[in-house]
Amino acid sequence: MNDPFTVLGVGEDAGDDEIKQRYLALVRAFPPDREPERFQAYRAAYEALRDQRKRLEAKLLRTNDAALSRLKLLFLAPSKPVSGRATKATVSALLVEGIDRACAQAGSASEP
Amino acid sequence: MRLGDFKQAIDLFKRLVKQEARPEWRDALAEAFAGRARILAAKGMFEEAETALSKTAAPDGTVRDPLLYVQCLVKRGQVHKAAELAVKCVGNHKDPAATAPQLAELAAALWLVAPVPLAYPAERQSEGGKWVEHAVASQQSLTAWIEGKPPQEIDLLLSRIPLRSAFRALRLILKSLMTAPNDPARARQLLDGIPPESAFASFRLAVEAALPGVPAEPVASSSPSSRAQQVFAVEVKGLPNAASQSLAQLVKAERNGPGALLSFLASQTGALPTDEVKSACLNLLPQAPDRLRQFESTFGPLSEFDRNRVLALAAEAGNDWERAEQRWRVAAQGVEHAADTEARLSAGVIYRHLARRAQDHPEIEGEGTSEFPCIEYLERSLQADPDHLPAVMQLIGLYRTNEQDKDWHRLAEEAARRFPEESAILLQAVDSAIARKAYKKAVGFARKLLTLDPINQAARQRMIELHISHARKQTRSKRADLAWKELAKAAEWERPGAPSFRLCINQGLVGRELGREPDAEARLRQGVELAGGGVAGWFRASLEHALMNAGEDAALLRQELVRAQQAAAPTKEGILSIASAVSGEEARDSNKAVAGLIFRIRGWLLKGGSLAWSAAEFHPIAEMFRLADAYDLLGDYARLARLREPKDATWRYYQVVARAMGDPDRLSWRETQELIEMAEDAADRNEFRTASRIRGFIVGSGPDSAQRRGSRRISEVDLADFDDKGEADEDLAELLAMSLQDTPPDMVKRMIAELGQRQAVTALADRLRTSLLGAILPVKLRRELAQGIVDSVIATSGRPVHE
Repeated sequence: MNDPFTVLGVGEDAGDDEIKQRYLALVRAFPPDREPERFQAYRAAYEALRDQRKRLEAKLLRTNDAALSRLKLLFLAPSKPVSGRATKATVSALLVEGIDRACAQAGSASEP
Repeated sequence: MRLGDFKQAIDLFKRLVKQEARPEWRDALAEAFAGRARILAAKGMFEEAETALSKTAAPDGTVRDPLLYVQCLVKRGQVHKAAELAVKCVGNHKDPAATAPQLAELAAALWLVAPVPLAYPAERQSEGGKWVEHAVASQQSLTAWIEGKPPQEIDLLLSRIPLRSAFRALRLILKSLMTAPNDPARARQLLDGIPPESAFASFRLAVEAALPGVPAEPVASSSPSSRAQQVFAVEVKGLPNAASQSLAQLVKAERNGPGALLSFLASQTGALPTDEVKSACLNLLPQAPDRLRQFESTFGPLSEFDRNRVLALAAEAGNDWERAEQRWRVAAQGVEHAADTEARLSAGVIYRHLARRAQDHPEIEGEGTSEFPCIEYLERSLQADPDHLPAVMQLIGLYRTNEQDKDWHRLAEEAARRFPEESAILLQAVDSAIARKAYKKAVGFARKLLTLDPINQAARQRMIELHISHARKQTRSKRADLAWKELAKAAEWERPGAPSFRLCINQGLVGRELGREPDAEARLRQGVELAGGGVAGWFRASLEHALMNAGEDAALLRQELVRAQQAAAPTKEGILSIASAVSGEEARDSNKAVAGLIFRIRGWLLKGGSLAWSAAEFHPIAEMFRLADAYDLLGDYARLARLREPKDATWRYYQVVARAMGDPDRLSWRETQELIEMAEDAADRNEFRTASRIRGFIVGSGPDSAQRRGSRRISEVDLADFDDKGEADEDLAELLAMSLQDTPPDMVKRMIAELGQRQAVTALADRLRTSLLGAILPVKLRRELAQGIVDSVIATSGRPVHE
């Protein structure tokens, strides 16, 4: 999910002002010193949409997941945030996933 | 061991230990096994790495590099064994201090997944004892949360896990989950305490994605990514059953591919906003073009533009560039003349896209209005969107590279009018004016440029060059007085303390013409010194003299040049300085003068062949020899270099160029084959410049081809004798076909076998282009002819194997 519309969370018809406002709001919420990777992603997305020609390029020459992401959000909308409980199996699956990634990172750091 | 050859180290230490089990040798053997395991794990061979590490086990069961061992076990799905091992390592003080906390956290996560029986160590307050205590509290907290116990109860359990514990991340996660309904910002802040490399990071991300988003946060970053995270989101969000089922179906459809997802979404038009569903489906169509009919029956017919765009993207995804080009072209043609600005801009975007793609995909051929599809599409993009500056710059660059001078000058002039405040364009306009020898115009553009950008050093230098060029023009017209004034204007642009050697030399030469001695000669000598002195300096002065066609100094310059040659042997710097002097635009246009001057220092240059040139250094020198028609010198340099470096193909290449005197038509069949192989080898070694240089020479368009000087192309005007241009093309094609009758079919057959049918057509068309008659044929016709030859060879000898 790295198309610029989805990364910035703007619609395909957003104009210059809306995109700029959105980008600045994101940078304020996730400043580069705290979240350098997020900032880089937002910056790249903003650059890809900053003027009409670039937006057309993104819209015409590539596909994007912006609408799909909005639909997913609609599915989740009626929920009460974090009111449910996960099962033990789900938590275990998440932990195994994390252990696997941590091991892979440790492995790549100590690669010969 | 130091060289990293652990396999051999294992063999040798095994033998030593067999002879005598010294502790240091046993230790070294274990270290060698650990090293081998690291190498195997890095290659993804976890089973083998685990076996190697198991051989490092000490009597108490601990192994070298327990972190790696755990990794191998986890990778192989042996979570219980990994948990057992990791728990055993906690607090045993055998692991390096740097990895101990990491291992303790890994053990914590593993134990929560696979809670192997724990035993308190004798010392309950020891590190190991505390870990066991925290483990129990953590497990109880997690179970309490899963079972939906009240927050107060969970809080009590969490308070037993200190923030310095290996279970700290779990405490933060559970605390965050409990805080989230009332204070999502605080919940998010708590999660920030878990670093991305933590074994709990995936859990953290899942919780983060389930939290209500902050106002500025986009959809993407809060969307769960892995399957486990998606399930977690559904579970903790407390979705109603129907929504939960729909989401599960969506996730399933997504896993089954774009076609299935599109079908699922299309079936949801009643439940979800139609516009959003349509937009999502439209974006899925290029990945599932077979669902086009389904899409249209659900949402109504697509516009011609969208239909062609979708099919073009689908063709691109399938690497079918011919079809993609055709679809894109139809899409763009439909909107390029529209009244709507966005529609015209869309056409521009598509044509620029085709221009970019044409550079990587020879299947994109354009409609034949230009020899180069990239140029054709950029031209069309500018017709649709003339204000796109990067396209203008790129097209100017391409015109220059491909020697389409008329187009270059036209576009540079137009661009200077359209973008009067763009320094890059003004610099192009200056270059174009200089190339046309329209010096006053060039000065005008340069002045405009310096008004916009007063510290532009390149423009300053360009101004000096301009005045010098103009002064030369005046001297050639026997107006040394005006030239002197022009040089004074040039001096105004000089940076203080950094005199230009060319200006000094020219002032000296013009001053002598005007009889301003002795200052003029002093100025000339100052210029020569600034230009490096010796042969290089006097060569520069002689070249400037030749370019201005002055008469006065010929004797002085000749004497000094001879004296300098006698005084010092050639150096790399000296020869490279001369090569750089003759690479200037005006020098290139006066190759006769350059050839004469090179002839004068021939003996001196000859000695330079024994210097140890690198290939990169040699290219400009080869260019100098080519300009001066000094192919004997080129051959000598290449021969001597080849003796030094027989394996470097560059030298053999230049030997071939020298033998053919820069003319690819003089290459023998064997030499052509040798060069093709050389180019392929260079490309295999990723030396694309070398490969392109060699290929360029073979087809007569490269920098080493003598044909570049005097283009052998016949202009369109020469076709005026024919009444009808179409008729002329046909007649010429017939003539060409006749002249190609003696082309050995074996050669074409070999081209087809080596390059494939399509590339063979391109290569043959390229050969035709370099022939005298082929040069004047339109691209399309030349290609058709090449296609015809290839077809006839295939027809007579069967289908090519390579195809």
